[in-house]
Amino acid sequence: MRSFFRLQWSGILVGIIAGGIALALSAPAFLSEFNLFVLLRSICVSLLVAYSQMVMLGVGQMNLSVGALGGLVAVVTGGLMDALGVPTLPAIMIGVAAGGAAGFVNGWLTVKTGINGFIVTLATASAFAGINLGITKAVPFYNLPADFVAFGNGRLGLFPLLLIVPLLVTVVLALFFSRAVPGRHMLAVGGNAPAAQLSGVSVPRAIISAHVLSGLLAAVAGILAVAQLGSAQPTIGSDWLVISFAAPIIGGASLAGGAISIVGTLLAVVLIGLIQNAMVLVKVDPYWVQFLLGALILAAVWFNRYRAVRVGES
Amino acid sequence: MALTVDKASKSFPGVRALKDASLELKPGEVHALMGENGAGKSTLIKIITGVHRPDGGRLLLDGTEISLNSPRDAIRLGISAVHQERNLIPRFSVAENILLENLPRRAGLVDYARANAEAKKYLEMIGLVVDTRTEVRHLSVAQMQMVEIAKALSHEAKVLLLDEPTASLTGEEAEALFALIKRLKAEGAAILFVSHKLEEVLAISDRVTVLRDGETTLIGEPIANMSRGRLIEAMIGRAERIAVVRPPKPATGAIKLEAKGVATAAGHRDISFTVRRGEILGLYGLVGAGRTELARALVGKDKVTGGSLSIDGKPAVIRSVEEALKRHRVGYLSEDRKYEGVVLLHPIRFNVAMTIWDRLAKVLGFQTAAGERKAAEPFARQLEIRTPSLEQAVGNLSGGNQQKVSLAKWLAAKVDLLVIDEPTVGIDIKTKAYIHELIGKLADDGLAILLISSELPEMVALADRILVMHEFRLVDGFDNDRSYEAMSRKVMGAIHRHADEAVAAE
Amino acid sequence: MDPAPRRTISSFLLRGSAQVGLFLILVVLWAVFANLAPGFLSKFNLNSLLRSVAVDIVVGFAQMVVLATGGMNLSVGAIGVCAVMFSGYLMQVLGLPIPVAIAGTLALGAFLGWLNGFAIVKTGVNSFVVTLASASLFSGGMLILTKAVPLNGLPPEFGAFGKSAVGPAFGSIPAIPSLAVVALAIGLGLYLLFKHSTLGRQILAVGANARAAEMSGIPVDRTIVFVHALSGALAAAAALMLTSRLAAAMPAVAGDDWLLPSFLAPVIGGTALSGGIVSVVGTILGALLVSTIRSGLLVLEIGNFWLPLFLGAFLLAAILIERGRAAYVAREQARRAL
Repeated sequence: MRSFFRLQWSGILVGIIAGGIALALSAPAFLSEFNLFVLLRSICVSLLVAYSQMVMLGVGQMNLSVGALGGLVAVVTGGLMDALGVPTLPAIMIGVAAGGAAGFVNGWLTVKTGINGFIVTLATASAFAGINLGITKAVPFYNLPADFVAFGNGRLGLFPLLLIVPLLVTVVLALFFSRAVPGRHMLAVGGNAPAAQLSGVSVPRAIISAHVLSGLLAAVAGILAVAQLGSAQPTIGSDWLVISFAAPIIGGASLAGGAISIVGTLLAVVLIGLIQNAMVLVKVDPYWVQFLLGALILAAVWFNRYRAVRVGES
Repeated sequence: MALTVDKASKSFPGVRALKDASLELKPGEVHALMGENGAGKSTLIKIITGVHRPDGGRLLLDGTEISLNSPRDAIRLGISAVHQERNLIPRFSVAENILLENLPRRAGLVDYARANAEAKKYLEMIGLVVDTRTEVRHLSVAQMQMVEIAKALSHEAKVLLLDEPTASLTGEEAEALFALIKRLKAEGAAILFVSHKLEEVLAISDRVTVLRDGETTLIGEPIANMSRGRLIEAMIGRAERIAVVRPPKPATGAIKLEAKGVATAAGHRDISFTVRRGEILGLYGLVGAGRTELARALVGKDKVTGGSLSIDGKPAVIRSVEEALKRHRVGYLSEDRKYEGVVLLHPIRFNVAMTIWDRLAKVLGFQTAAGERKAAEPFARQLEIRTPSLEQAVGNLSGGNQQKVSLAKWLAAKVDLLVIDEPTVGIDIKTKAYIHELIGKLADDGLAILLISSELPEMVALADRILVMHEFRLVDGFDNDRSYEAMSRKVMGAIHRHADEAVAAE
Repeated sequence: MDPAPRRTISSFLLRGSAQVGLFLILVVLWAVFANLAPGFLSKFNLNSLLRSVAVDIVVGFAQMVVLATGGMNLSVGAIGVCAVMFSGYLMQVLGLPIPVAIAGTLALGAFLGWLNGFAIVKTGVNSFVVTLASASLFSGGMLILTKAVPLNGLPPEFGAFGKSAVGPAFGSIPAIPSLAVVALAIGLGLYLLFKHSTLGRQILAVGANARAAEMSGIPVDRTIVFVHALSGALAAAAALMLTSRLAAAMPAVAGDDWLLPSFLAPVIGGTALSGGIVSVVGTILGALLVSTIRSGLLVLEIGNFWLPLFLGAFLLAAILIERGRAAYVAREQARRAL
């Protein structure tokens, strides 16, 4: 039991369980199959967005272009399907590849120019958003293949089909960061870049790989968002910034780098989804979600500090 | 393997770090690399380990020219280094740190069972008993040092570079390290041993290469032909100057600071002493004895949790450095010059004026660069800070001149008590002698000085009285009779006696 | 802050500050745009350019003062929207006199900024995280209280100020909009703060090396709280200027939209993200540059949609050029030193 509470994400799990019970008691609609489906579907995109930023925090950098990149991939994929009539699977593959390429641009610019990654991705965020708007003129792509839209809305009981993707990604990422050499090298660079370099780890390669991975994840998030909405909206991604940082940070990631938690990030996304769901169920002003998210971030970082001091880590 | 550096040169913006430096390292020898700080040792090591590429000159491994583009290249060729900075990943396990660039894998994934087994082999080799699964952030500094050596061994290094490996080790730990070095040497490794401790070098090395101002003044001289004096001459270009000795003087000035039974959050217990104006009180102890921590508590950086402090005869509680300076006229010259002493980005006049902005401002906190220059000028002149202009950023100055700027700041503040922590670490011998002289003069002018130093000769040359700290307690105190042999016997005796008592008590 | 001694024109250009290069780029751009599109120098266009750049300058200042300490304030926009709505509330709902409403709004901005600073200092958490969270808190709180309903019944004098100008017009050159004068006045105040005051020096010392500053007796925590309060007040000032320009208090005008401009102006202008170096003039030039590009592309009818792409590319290019120049200067100095 004691060791459970030493885990970084124990507090979030307790919050989810307590919140879930309270919600089930106060709003019976919470446990309806449809509501749980809606809840689960709402976390799919957020989870990938959170992972996209978490990867960057792992290597000790930030990616402010997660949203713009996801939005760009969303309209590229939608545009391929709608305007050019590309079939679903090739369109998705091209979209994902475009995300990886955009991530590579971020990483390459960071490494080659030596400019702070914060500024680089702030600039590329603007650039990606510009390309997005230039392509779409702010008009969404609506004519998407039926199979693609069906996937976005389909479900097995309370489980949305969409959930398959983030679950798969979770397993792959968990394996990648705990057991794969490139994943370990990214965390090593995030933990102590000069040390990693002197140990023979290629720091530029780790940083560029992390950016590519972050781009791929944001791309998948963008494509899932299109499937879920049934149209490729140019505004996809414009509100991802806060959640992308909030979930990994609430989940215990440190901005200093090298310390991330996949379980923590997953639980944080679930908790945030639960709060959003609760606001709808108890018919509270939806603006409260934003307010509570801010409070939650502060509470989480404060709690993490407090716990670190108590456990004697700091 | 034999490693040869042939006339390597390297320049950085504004500095020529190496000029035609040469080195010849043979298998089965311990080769010492010596030089003062800034002589180019680190640059040479970084060239050998692939961190920097030389602008000119060649690197040869067993007679074939090699070109290193990254540390990875060096490691692959069997050249490994244990660097001065702590080069471990805090949240990774001991095993993973040791094997970082060459983690054993199965089906593409890291095989931790094998990694732990393999790492254990290297730990046994150096005699470190610690669970390979422990995260290194939970280890002691000495253990981390050993892990780094294990890491170098795991690279199957034929050429091993040890950069100041004993800096953070206790005597016993250092002995264990030397035994290991001797064993590796017997197994045919070529070992480059970088140290500024003459005794260590004379005891363990076979040959020595000395750098001065980026040039090699001795190349591969057998240590048997060397003496302390010849080494120093090679390093500084002339014979060692004996540090100025202040004539012993009874302290008669008014008491500036009195500590009675002080305890601190850092762990000090029952600390009592007084410092008078015009007196240099020495605080000696081994690394980790708690001297710097005491200094920090005295200037309000750390918490005093028990006992009492009085300043100028009045009880005092010091909650911040600002309060220490402004209310009690107490200053602290930090041992960590670059991070705590000076602001590298800003000009000299800015740094010197930092402590006296309140005084310089006439109306509404109004400041001018000219006002700062005028205030800083006399101190820059008094301390002979060598610079074309007070507008020069402190980052462009040499270590010695940076230290003078740091000191000037406190002189400008006109403090009555200055806590001086390791004032001459990393400073060339000429400036060092100058700073010693200056500290003596400041005391003669009535400043109360609490001097912290790990260099006993410095302590004996300067202090009027020497307090000995061991494990966060003051264990003894002696009047300084300026005889190095006698004082060193007394001081070290006190430390050992106390250490023995602690062991007996257990 | 300290110009190196300059002698000849060539060494002036070479070793001059980043701001000189920025100024030259600006002149070239104006010449190009004026040639390609005569509408660029029209009285109407110049007037609207100056009125919008005035707000951007102050938004840039709000970020600049925090960057000076090596921190960040992601809540500049959120404080901005809170201030926009609060000013509207004070003037329209409470019917307070305009000067009182302005003072109240600035006080609110300073208070919200103070909360940021207080949380950063007390918890020791990175300013990025704290202001990311507080941005959500502030704008969420504002939306809950206002239900996002705009306030359109502001006193007419307040809106009139936003359209007014100072001094006579010369031919096609318009009189200077009052908003631009306000921005310049704030700039002058900040210039004096950083160049000529104890507080400004303390901020720069903390930004360059917080530990050394603390160990020299500078109150680091108080300084950090102060810059955050100042940043909040500046964000509120920008919000007031915007409200005056639009003659209405609308909740959707700042927020996320201010994030990029707040960083663009100071960073292009030579303020270091790592702290310790600021340039008030550079921030003004940086904001001017951004507005010039925006306005130029508009009159060239290249289309508003591609604008962000150009801004992003230009930001990177500006930084790269400055890096190149600095590296060149360092090499030259090294060569001369040897």
